[in-house]
Amino acid sequence: MKPELEILRRGSGRPILVVHGVNPVSPRAPFLDRLAEHGAVVAPSHPGFGASAMPPDFETIYDLVNLYQDVIDDLPGDDVTMIGLGFGGWIAAEVAVTRPSKLRRLVLADPVGIKIGGREDRDIVHFFNTRPDELTRRAWHDPSRIPEGCYGLGWQSTIDDRMTDAEMVSLARNWDSLCLYSWTPHMYNPRLKPWLRRIDVPTLVLWGESDGIVTPDYGRAYAGLIPGARFETIAQAGHHPELEQPGAFVDRVARLMEAYR
Amino acid sequence: MTSIELWNHCENPYPFVPAEVLDAADSVRASLPNKYCDPHIAARLYDEIWEEYRLCDDIGLHIVTNEHHSGINNLWAASPVITGIVASLTRKVRILSLGTLVTVRPDPVRVATEYATIDVISKGRLDIGFVKSGATEMVSGNANPMHIREREWEAIDLIDKSLTSHEGPFSWEGKFFTHPHVNVWPRPYQSPRPDFWAATSDLPTCAELGRRGYVNTLLFGGYDRTRKAYDAYKDARAAAGLPKAGEDRFSYMAFCYVGDTDEEAMRIGQKIPWFLTVSIKSSPQFSKFQPGAVAPEMAPAAWRGGASKRPTDMTVASLIAQGQMFCGNPDTVARQIKEFRQRVGGVGRIIMMTRQGLMTHEQAMKSFNLAANDVLPQLRDLPPIDEELRVAR
Repeated sequence: MKPELEILRRGSGRPILVVHGVNPVSPRAPFLDRLAEHGAVVAPSHPGFGASAMPPDFETIYDLVNLYQDVIDDLPGDDVTMIGLGFGGWIAAEVAVTRPSKLRRLVLADPVGIKIGGREDRDIVHFFNTRPDELTRRAWHDPSRIPEGCYGLGWQSTIDDRMTDAEMVSLARNWDSLCLYSWTPHMYNPRLKPWLRRIDVPTLVLWGESDGIVTPDYGRAYAGLIPGARFETIAQAGHHPELEQPGAFVDRVARLMEAYR
Repeated sequence: MTSIELWNHCENPYPFVPAEVLDAADSVRASLPNKYCDPHIAARLYDEIWEEYRLCDDIGLHIVTNEHHSGINNLWAASPVITGIVASLTRKVRILSLGTLVTVRPDPVRVATEYATIDVISKGRLDIGFVKSGATEMVSGNANPMHIREREWEAIDLIDKSLTSHEGPFSWEGKFFTHPHVNVWPRPYQSPRPDFWAATSDLPTCAELGRRGYVNTLLFGGYDRTRKAYDAYKDARAAAGLPKAGEDRFSYMAFCYVGDTDEEAMRIGQKIPWFLTVSIKSSPQFSKFQPGAVAPEMAPAAWRGGASKRPTDMTVASLIAQGQMFCGNPDTVARQIKEFRQRVGGVGRIIMMTRQGLMTHEQAMKSFNLAANDVLPQLRDLPPIDEELRVAR
């Protein structure tokens, strides 16, 4: 049985598949309308996130990777741009390694998913074992500019009286599901790195200059493992450049789409 | 007629870290540096508690060990290691491991092997307990905190089969554990295996314990939660057409201090709530925000309520009133336990958490002697529970 997914859609044209990070893409995220000027944005919520049910037999990133093959198969036409954000960047990289026939371009924004450093180097700050205020400090260039209704890493430290019960239930459920998929090895697949060489579509690896969750150096190394990938940074942005710098983020994506029509 | 057993549960706490360090620390479990644990002091603590266990063996208090990691609350970092030592120190009393944390142990077959070995060393005096655990233990043990209840049941089933299979290797390919060649040596001393206990107040879990006939123990549940848990156990047995469980299937852990007088007991007993006021302080990411810690629909109440706040107003009197502590002279404690038994619908095994916080070795020894010599005789041959009295409350 193919799981039913909640899907956020915006705009028309060539599909732009957005694979979300710690939380589903908020319909209030300012980058959505800008991105929709370049194609039909399709942003599913992973199983166990948002309003997407968690199938009882879903357990690992393997399930998500295969599910996103289904998602791509179901998109119209044969010209898909896939954007993976953070944790979703890991999924997108895994999917791209399998060379889906409709995939034309790949954007990875601050992805996790591989191990770069030595065995005592913490490449990726632990999402679950780190204090929420420390996550916030590391994840954002300027936390005061987090768009209304959008939640990235460190969302726990933004809980206040304005947050509704429904939002809390949803965030708790997303957090649980994220943990199921990624607790250990934490946020990476030890087998992915050697297979990144199979990615055969134009790839842009984007990085928030101030990302303290996974640093730009990690990003440079990541991009170096994907044949022909470009590495670019976005100023005044952390782990969620699509939220902190929506204009610059969409400009970079649009440039890739223009360069490889 | 029912006789209530008394069990001594000591976690071997390490209360000697300076208060200013504990106050400044985010968490006194999981992340507190071990530079604050002086191994010379720890060695003395182990020696003192071995002596307490020898006393328990002489006077008829059964012994409980457990397991927690990386914190001031507990130096029993490996329950099977400690339980094996206790098996060798003692000759008569029963020993309950409550328990090694099967949700963080990667191989239940290894757990079964450790327990079978202890059962043989103790010549059949071992009981095996299971706890779901969670929170800081998931961090210290690097265990995914999601699906731990399901994982725990599979571990229990595999341990059960490992202890009761005697015809050569069997294969296990479950959701969480795989082992193609399970063949535990030695096999347990007791047949078919040591009795199983589990600590829980989760009602569906209590019901499952009822169907399986395991001992259901509650930790500090108080009157109402304990009664509801035991009722879930009993109702599940009745619904499954199983015979009524004896009171030995029900256990309760409470703080406990027995003194010569009520005044002395309450004064010394006030050291015990350290367990709640100091030793459970955890960072938010290790408690209310840990995945799986609360069901998503319960998150708003837990997060708004600040679930990880430390209680600071724990008086012996309030703990006694809530049924979470038995404290006083021997007659008072016997009366409190009998009252508790009545109000929860029967309980056969009382686990006393006595040596806690800055309680001294001598103070603990005194309470154990009074419990065994002056409380225990009052808990023998008790009349059946007056069901009408229980319902009326």
